[in-house]
Amino acid sequence: MDFDAYDLDPSIYDEMFLPDGTPREHCGPLNETLTQLTSEELVGIQERVTRSFSDEGITFTVYGDDEADERIIPIDCLPRVMSGAEWRNIEEGLTQRLKALNLFLDDVYGKSRIKDLYGKPRIVHDGVVPDDVVRDCPQYREEMRGFSAPHGTWVAICGTDLVRTNDGFRVLEDNLRVPSGVSYMLANRKAAKSSLRRLYRRSRVREVENYGRVLLETLRELAPEGRSEPTIALLTPGVYNSAFYEHMFLAQELGAELVEGRDLLVSDDFVYMRTTTGLRRVDVIYRRVDDDFVDPLVFRPDSLLGVPGLIHAYKLGNVALVNAPGTGVADDKSVYAYVPDMVRYYLGEDAILENVETYLCRRPEDLEYTLDNLQDLVVKRVGESGGYGMLIGPHSSAGERDEYAEQVRADPAGFISQPTLALSRSPCLIDGRVEPRHVDLRPFVLHGRRTRIVPGAFCRVALRRGSLVVNSSQGGGGKDFWVLED
Amino acid sequence: MLSRSAQGLYWMGRYLERTQHLCRLLELQASALVDRPVREIYFGWRRIYASVGREPPGGVLEIDFDDDFTLADSYTLADDLTFERLNSCSIWSCLALGRENARQMRHCISGEMWMALNLSYLRVQGLSMQDIWTTSPESFYIQTSAEINTFLGIASTTMYRDDGWHFMRLGHFIERAQLSSALLLAHLAAGTTNKEDSDDDWTSLLRAYRAFDAYNRRYSVEVHPGRVLELLVIDPMLPNSLCQSIDSVAAELAGLAPGPDTGPSVAARRLVDRIGAMVHDYWPERGDHGEFLRQVNDYCRELHYLLTAAYFEYPVEGLEPHPTTGGEGQVGSG
Repeated sequence: MDFDAYDLDPSIYDEMFLPDGTPREHCGPLNETLTQLTSEELVGIQERVTRSFSDEGITFTVYGDDEADERIIPIDCLPRVMSGAEWRNIEEGLTQRLKALNLFLDDVYGKSRIKDLYGKPRIVHDGVVPDDVVRDCPQYREEMRGFSAPHGTWVAICGTDLVRTNDGFRVLEDNLRVPSGVSYMLANRKAAKSSLRRLYRRSRVREVENYGRVLLETLRELAPEGRSEPTIALLTPGVYNSAFYEHMFLAQELGAELVEGRDLLVSDDFVYMRTTTGLRRVDVIYRRVDDDFVDPLVFRPDSLLGVPGLIHAYKLGNVALVNAPGTGVADDKSVYAYVPDMVRYYLGEDAILENVETYLCRRPEDLEYTLDNLQDLVVKRVGESGGYGMLIGPHSSAGERDEYAEQVRADPAGFISQPTLALSRSPCLIDGRVEPRHVDLRPFVLHGRRTRIVPGAFCRVALRRGSLVVNSSQGGGGKDFWVLED
Repeated sequence: MLSRSAQGLYWMGRYLERTQHLCRLLELQASALVDRPVREIYFGWRRIYASVGREPPGGVLEIDFDDDFTLADSYTLADDLTFERLNSCSIWSCLALGRENARQMRHCISGEMWMALNLSYLRVQGLSMQDIWTTSPESFYIQTSAEINTFLGIASTTMYRDDGWHFMRLGHFIERAQLSSALLLAHLAAGTTNKEDSDDDWTSLLRAYRAFDAYNRRYSVEVHPGRVLELLVIDPMLPNSLCQSIDSVAAELAGLAPGPDTGPSVAARRLVDRIGAMVHDYWPERGDHGEFLRQVNDYCRELHYLLTAAYFEYPVEGLEPHPTTGGEGQVGSG
């Protein structure tokens, strides 16, 4: 395989090659291996990897009108490689960021609020974050006000989306509610290891396979006092959820029961599950059900997925809920703009990982700027995720922009905009040829009583040529991501 | 173990046994099409349909002594029992449901078990009657049955022997006992008077149970209905005999602690003892075998409800019982 046709663009960071076309130092072994393999051999590897996903049933489910469609998340067989030094910087940045976000959540909900007439969070009182940004956030949960999460851990599992440009890494999004994708990180690793055996051994890749154990340690740290052998359960919305595979996978990794709301009940403020030998107390619930559905007595009363009384039991400290309800206020797209300020405010440090420049359309000057520059910006709806409801200015038509501008004008607070980033690209095998495709990175940060990060991530790829959208619901796929030992 | 997980494994066991049962019967039908008389072929179809409690497509089966018609009929019937997705007891449906239960309870079984079952499912998914009919339909049934045997073998060497194991096997053997008694009942009901024809039908019954060689070894090549029944019902050494299935049910139940609801839990154990005593000690040498088999079949159905009440859906204040059929995510029907 040669890289003659590989389209290097100096304005876009390439994960494997320097602008002059020589491989980056840590990508030497990968370059050598790819050079030695023929196109047919690479296609063979790609087919085996795809087949192994199908055989093992590594799928996400899309439900249509009549029957379920189990789809395989596309995987590209070429790994993305990162040096140990670069990773350390990311690790420090992620740790710092999560620490600040947990302090922010404690400030927003907890008892440390300013005891003035309005009971504002300190950060609001001190004018760092505007009051309405927090108050109007749809993910703010008034029901959690006055509660302090045990050990200050509101977010125990976080999946931060990082992108790289020529200026370095930027945080694109903090996913602090029920981040998914870690099972694909592990599945991609398994596939890469078995298909690029010699390269893997030579490359001295840091392991991610202990993720399950690290997650278990994290969850155990959060168990109620006095429960030395806590019973852990993973709460899933059920088999119809698109991430059901991951829920099952994680339950298996944890050796935990995979429960649905209908398997649990609250009695005398303790949580129990129905087992073949009777009711058994549950100490820690890793919930993959959204806030709104977790307890019909507190949130949506029509929810059938949750457990009545769960929040009350949680507030009494009789069960741990991971993540805590209400954490969505900290990963809101408007609140996001203030995270570097939070880091400075709570920790007295500069943020190691920077944000993407963000314009909040709720501010008149930002609204004007956004509307004037739609063709260059990415505009996002505050409440949406998964790449939905987004306008990518440079890829849009004048008509689409006009239509979108109307929506923004009608509800400015519902939108933010960011410059269109030249996301870095990584070599992918496309139709038997190696071509660059845009990628991002979702590492997973775990925090019980201390922070743990497995040196790896779910690396998402926009498989369509030129596309910047990496979401699996929109034509994205994944590839393995290697952090090398020093 | 979580009740719902145990129930999922139980149903997985049932559906896979159902799949294999159909594979055996259809393999027999497919090979009968090569050289057996038209009458025997129709007898076989009637027996299958009666044993699974289903009306054949188009209603009553009329013998058509024209070979071409028999072949065309057989194609339709085999398709109905093999690939028909709307037929909840076709091989396609049973395998899909068994696999769906495994998918939902994948964290309770070994990775090797899942992989074996998923591969089998993916293979069958990609096939149609047309694909298997023109070459050798038998080999499709043989292969599918062998894949389930492989799955069971993998289970026995890789699955942790917790409650999940016992529930999976309970499902397997209760299903086997029910299907077996239903098949024998269907055979007796479709009874043939002509001695020669009757011998052929009893021989095919032995083949359906993979018991032909065992019969020859124990008795002789001469087919005697009473002996055939004796072998299939009360011989504890025949792997598929009713007696063997009931003994296995008893053994699996003994491996489980009593259920939280003691009423049905105790009743289930008593009932298993009673069925055990029947097949060991009270098989009538002469007399009404049909009545005996009907009783065993009814008891097996009752046992299913008792186990469900004792372990899966016992009443808990504040918890809705799980629906046994048709509920969200719950895959099973008795």
